[in-house]
Amino acid sequence: MPENTASGNPVNRRVVGIDVGGTFTDIAVLEDGNLTVHKLPSTPDNPSKGIIQGVKETGVTSAEFVHGSTVATNALLEGKGARTALITTMGFEDVLEIGRQSRSELYNFEMDRAPALAPWELRFGLPERIDHTGAIVEDLTPEAIQTLIELLEESAPESVAVSFLFSFLNTVHEDMVLSALGKMKNPPYISISSRVLPEFREYERTSTVVVNSYVGQVMSRYLRELEGPLGQGLRIMQSSGGSITARLASEQPVRTILSGPAGGVVGAFYSAMQAGYPDIITLDMGGTSTDVSLCPGEIKETTGGNVGGYPIGVPMIDIHTVGAGGGSIARLDSGGALVVGPESAGADPGPACYGKGDALTVTDANLLLGRLLPDRFLGGRMVLDPGRVEGLMEKLAGQINVQTHQAALGINRVVNANMERAIRSISLERGYDPRLFTLVPFGGAGPMHACELAQELGIPRVLVPPRPGILSALGVAIADIVKDYSRTVMLRGTSLNRSRLDEEFEGMEGLARKEMAGEGLSVEKMVARRFLDVRYVGQSFELTVDYPSGNSRADLAKVIGGNFYKAHLRRFGYADRSEPVEVVNLRLKLELAMEKPLVEAQTPGSADAAAAKIGESEIVFPQGALNSPIYQREQLICGNRISGPALVIQMDATTVLPPGWGGVVDSFGNLLLEPE
Amino acid sequence: MPVDPISLQIFKSMFESVAEEMGVALQRTAYSPNIKERKDFSCAVFDPEGNMVAQAADIPVHLGAMPASVRAALQVFPGALNSGDIVILNDPYLGGTHLPDITMVAPVYAEQDGKKELAGFVANRGHHADVGGMTPGSLPLSTELYQEGTIIPPIKLARRGRLNREIIQLICRNSRTPEERKGDLAAQTAAIKVGEQRMREVTERYGLPDTLEHMAALLDYSERVTRRAISKIPDGRYEVVDHMDDDGLSQELVPIAVAITVSGDEMEIDFTGTSPQRPGCINAPVAVTTSSCLYVVRCLLDEQAPANQGCLRPLKITTPLGSLVNPEPQHGVAAGNVETSQRITDVLLGALAQALPDVIPAASQGTMNNMIIGGHDPVRNKPFVYYETIAGGMGARPDKDGISGIHTHMTNTMNTPVEAMEFAFPLRLKRYAVRRGSGGDGKFKGGDGVIREVEFLSPARVTLMSERRKLPPPGYHGGHHGERGENVLMKGGYEEINLAGKELVDVEAGDVISIRTPGAGGWGAPEGEPSN
Repeated sequence: MPENTASGNPVNRRVVGIDVGGTFTDIAVLEDGNLTVHKLPSTPDNPSKGIIQGVKETGVTSAEFVHGSTVATNALLEGKGARTALITTMGFEDVLEIGRQSRSELYNFEMDRAPALAPWELRFGLPERIDHTGAIVEDLTPEAIQTLIELLEESAPESVAVSFLFSFLNTVHEDMVLSALGKMKNPPYISISSRVLPEFREYERTSTVVVNSYVGQVMSRYLRELEGPLGQGLRIMQSSGGSITARLASEQPVRTILSGPAGGVVGAFYSAMQAGYPDIITLDMGGTSTDVSLCPGEIKETTGGNVGGYPIGVPMIDIHTVGAGGGSIARLDSGGALVVGPESAGADPGPACYGKGDALTVTDANLLLGRLLPDRFLGGRMVLDPGRVEGLMEKLAGQINVQTHQAALGINRVVNANMERAIRSISLERGYDPRLFTLVPFGGAGPMHACELAQELGIPRVLVPPRPGILSALGVAIADIVKDYSRTVMLRGTSLNRSRLDEEFEGMEGLARKEMAGEGLSVEKMVARRFLDVRYVGQSFELTVDYPSGNSRADLAKVIGGNFYKAHLRRFGYADRSEPVEVVNLRLKLELAMEKPLVEAQTPGSADAAAAKIGESEIVFPQGALNSPIYQREQLICGNRISGPALVIQMDATTVLPPGWGGVVDSFGNLLLEPE
Repeated sequence: MPVDPISLQIFKSMFESVAEEMGVALQRTAYSPNIKERKDFSCAVFDPEGNMVAQAADIPVHLGAMPASVRAALQVFPGALNSGDIVILNDPYLGGTHLPDITMVAPVYAEQDGKKELAGFVANRGHHADVGGMTPGSLPLSTELYQEGTIIPPIKLARRGRLNREIIQLICRNSRTPEERKGDLAAQTAAIKVGEQRMREVTERYGLPDTLEHMAALLDYSERVTRRAISKIPDGRYEVVDHMDDDGLSQELVPIAVAITVSGDEMEIDFTGTSPQRPGCINAPVAVTTSSCLYVVRCLLDEQAPANQGCLRPLKITTPLGSLVNPEPQHGVAAGNVETSQRITDVLLGALAQALPDVIPAASQGTMNNMIIGGHDPVRNKPFVYYETIAGGMGARPDKDGISGIHTHMTNTMNTPVEAMEFAFPLRLKRYAVRRGSGGDGKFKGGDGVIREVEFLSPARVTLMSERRKLPPPGYHGGHHGERGENVLMKGGYEEINLAGKELVDVEAGDVISIRTPGAGGWGAPEGEPSN
């Protein structure tokens, strides 16, 4: 059941979640616990047009609007951000370009490196140095700052990022630059690393603050445009799964880079929690790629993200992406192996069955296997052409020397193997057994592959939410308000004591609450949670553990150690209690819980699903071509039971039940599938 | 299940993921920055004969060398490798490459008709920051193997699941950083267990016969892909000679010669004419030479084919015994792995550039710029050893510039963040920058090298092991050569003293060492210059 007790808001609110995808803009309206959904085509050249149109169509005039935006993402990936300058410690101007000095592909002479977002001529090194204790080794002089201002006035960048070595231990030099730049005649968009990401590892930190400045202008402009029609209460989804005010999103847009995928995970986790399954693996299968994420009773975050070749160190939901989707192209390689993806036919020309391109894709295989109905794709908005696929598949089958259907099944198996590998790497490689999880598929193609994938991984259950195509909009609407704060402290031995850590945390929390009060949020209702990034002394990967609260007299290092050893044991299979640990980062989350829709649990009715059956069709499985009933998802009601082989269709998704699988509609409209 | 294009792809993906999962376990549990941050390790899966089937894409120089480790284990313990055994080794003349690279090999057994049958092997190799020897970091300017550190012939670290901790104690006692060694060795055994477990799962899921059949099919697959790539190279004989700067003892240039003969879908690689083995430590054990050959071939493949033993089948590699590329036992090899391997790659690519001018890039920096710093940390009051390799220029490509400040060819280790380094060691970085203009001019420019300047906060002993300080990386087809690298000691931070490419130097607090790594060669004549 959803947690509503911590809600800081009156129950009769109206919240509107807006998720803008490449093809559709989804609008979820949440009012008094009721959810209604509106879908319309996106307007990629200016997403706000589609949003404003869509909101108008829902008839909602006043509400809290929450938006999952891809504006920052697209600016980054398409290279359409601001002309950005970097100000850093003299001698380290090229850290941004060299990165970690390794190459992304070992055996490819033609590999490229993502270009530095602040070009060489706009990287300025200042004479200054702070050491690893926070002490100033070399002062930053007013003269040096004056020279910088002159250089900036001459080169006139639109945005500026500031990142000095060890600025997370002593912000004085970054503060000096910030204040001087603010006084410029036409001040550029400015972000400084000690505010965006006060953590060690200069390349990752610098990259994060440069991305922030690079997308900052575009994002602020976009949000100003939206705030007019939608009002001042607009909030933006962050990559971490929490939302934040539009003003803060303009200040730190780097936190919103993966806001779309984050909405999906939040929506999936919420649906599964409500149904009583807190341990899930999400599977969002789209046209070119599939996102998977593991939620062991909570949504997991990472600070080791990388988008388009640019490291981003702010928290984001730990989502693993693999280049396998409906549009992934199948081909026989020169060694005679069947390869599927990562090349994709995309939306244009799209799979062969769309009628344009000649590339054979996963969607084409699904169509040929009877898992997609040609006249019911996207609720009949698009008619697929199986005739185009047959010839191409026959040709491939001839090359492999198998029956046509076997070739299509082969494409399915290979793409499933790619997704299986992705799920293994987020579960088994991190110490989680997938057999204890529920698979929650969404996106158009997810529910088509979920059962077979679950079978391969020993996952005992698949939960298909009522509207798998709009989970992101739902997730965006229900997201809590969350602001993350962090700081590198690097404490060990005797400096690792409670009064020191408490003092650090209290300082952080004081500033955090002040910032949130400035946003007009009810700070007294906000809950602060404290975490520590801990590692063995000398190691270089940290694990995040809870900060032990209270005033227990137990040796703090021991308590922290205890939490850390437990986490280490799970993740790596061993833990040495005699080894000393060090605290690398402090993390603070300031949260304001939002009301969740209180969906009434329905009482199960008849098990007979005959009323929802709209026909029969032949579907090909490894066991052969089987005559299978087709059900209309919207007409299935709580308590209905169905048995595989079967197909469940709805506007935005198709669910395949292989033979041996059974399904039941639960009290919340989810379709629960399990081997019978 | 018969082998078909579908099952082939499934098994390929599966064996690769076994190797990858071993790698994840190793990296995550290791102690030393060298393994954790810089990822200086490799993991691989082998068939019962010891043929490498799949390797996690890590360090190319380990490519050809891993199979040699499994073969050595099989040779020393014929028919006597039991379930739960782990063989450990680093002997460059028996399965190893150079002493810091410690390899573990374990057999995997599967139940078949109630009997335990050999299903293959898993192995991993990690570069340990110190295994004893003359100088901190165990990459000394040595004259024989015995000076380079602890030699571990193939011995059993574990018998039937029981670990012999005394071996670990012996290795740790011979290292300047015993705690780190203990942690890294534990991580390697943990990774072996992960690999064994995963391989057993594969055999349980698909049965032993299918697993073995697909191992064989994957070797055939890589062979087919390789033959196809070779058949696209025009038939002919392509010869090149290039040189190592010196062996660190004398100033003599050391030639490496290669003749590649392509005939149909087969390739002969003959190193006859290469310098005899040297008294200094730049000799490359034949496993290292093989790695370079396998790397170059792998780069020519147009598929994501596993770089396995199958790729080697169409090759005939001739390495005269007693030469630099196949030395006789007990010659020093410390730099063979890290420096000579780069030059072997250069000559191989140089020869192929004659045949495939539109595919092969100009010469990259051709060195790894190894710097090893050892001393006593007065603040933390303990001895320390710090090892790094420094990126340089990537050769210009036939259609675009080379990349600046990047690791090329046989290595791909990451740098240690400046802030991580200063938190952990009595060092301060003064400068880390692209060495502008050091890449060779051309129709397409070679990538620039890097300048890295380290200030010492306490006395230390520094080993430099670098190349291309005398002969620069050549440009191709009229492209200019890149700048040579330079090693400079700035006494007290100012007075500049030039250092050799390979040098052992004691430094005081306040001294700075500046490493300026080579720029890469350009491709094609620059505008306004005649080609060739």
